[in-house]
Amino acid sequence: MKVEQLSLDELRVLLAGQGLRVKMGPFNLSVQTRLPSLIHQLHQMYAHYSLADEDEIVEFHVRVIPKRSIRQPFARLIRFEVDGRSPFPPVSVEQALATLEWGVNLVIAMRINHLLLFHSAAVERNGHVLLLPAWPGSGKTTLSAMLMHRGYRLFSDEFGLMAPEIGDFFPLPRLMPLKNQSIKIIRDYLPEAILGPEIPGTLKGTVAHIRPPQESIERVDEAAQPRWIVFPKWVAGAALRLESLPQSEAFLLLATNAFNYEVLGETAFDAVTRLVRSCECRKLVYSDFDSALAALDELTDG
Amino acid sequence: MNSWYSSHFSSLYIENWDGEFTVFQPESGKTHFLNEMGLHILTILDGSPLRLNTICQELSVHFSLQPDTQFFGKIAQTLQRYEALGLIERVKENE
Repeated sequence: MKVEQLSLDELRVLLAGQGLRVKMGPFNLSVQTRLPSLIHQLHQMYAHYSLADEDEIVEFHVRVIPKRSIRQPFARLIRFEVDGRSPFPPVSVEQALATLEWGVNLVIAMRINHLLLFHSAAVERNGHVLLLPAWPGSGKTTLSAMLMHRGYRLFSDEFGLMAPEIGDFFPLPRLMPLKNQSIKIIRDYLPEAILGPEIPGTLKGTVAHIRPPQESIERVDEAAQPRWIVFPKWVAGAALRLESLPQSEAFLLLATNAFNYEVLGETAFDAVTRLVRSCECRKLVYSDFDSALAALDELTDG
Repeated sequence: MNSWYSSHFSSLYIENWDGEFTVFQPESGKTHFLNEMGLHILTILDGSPLRLNTICQELSVHFSLQPDTQFFGKIAQTLQRYEALGLIERVKENE
């Protein structure tokens, strides 16, 4: 059963009660909230996610709850909680969806150590994964949004989830937070994309989430082997460059980019070594989506 | 006068990337990125302790270099760095 098959009232009962248990890639997530605005947003933005079976273990239990403040008695604040703990300071109720999504990402980054977690977008084409590792601000979410609407299957805009022993990558298609000018770029470039509300005033400016395509969510159980690693960088006005990257440099960039490389130690060293040796490594500088897409299409053809 | 030796060389995981090397050190869980000379220092210190002069001499022969005082200084710095990372150990002459 999918979230979209629930009426708004049914969803509200779940969220306010035992929690909405949804399948998020290889994990299950339980969300609780009574905030009407967030319930409406989740009804739209989580529509394609499947509900977790009753007998399945839920890895993450999160809540978004109202927060009263003595200093700001009239402010409508909310707090994100995971297992009863709050990793962020309270924010305005309008930021509930963004805080929920960032909170879930934080929990995945902090707690998952059976998989190697790269700070990377990942998409699949022709049966293989194209990994796009990049630091925040490099434009990987915007690039992922573009790719997923042009024939690539979205794995994630934020996490490259790798099984270190076998090298498989797992899809984790979650809402993707477009920031500031990227929102208009995607609205103009991809009018078919489903975007959530624009949320101003967050730590990262104005944010609007883009919903992953239904197909990407439905094929969430289909892992794939990596074949290409491209380090992307959006630079205003730059001519397109898709250049070969020495494997030693790719190793260094990946090892420093992974969230839990040092935690996994030797396992991570071996996994990154195998990953780099088995992939074509490139760096991409671009300013124009069409030319970037053409270059990535050519790389991933056949 | 000090000597140095590579106490855990055999436990290191070394990958060669066309003359550059990633070295995983299980004791610390750290990965080091070394060039050919950096790795060669570890290699020649695997076994018996060597003094700075001998190390520089070995390196200059292996890499066909003319060692000068700057070279000695750089190798001394590298040895101190390796020691801090736990890749090599210092042995006092009278030990």
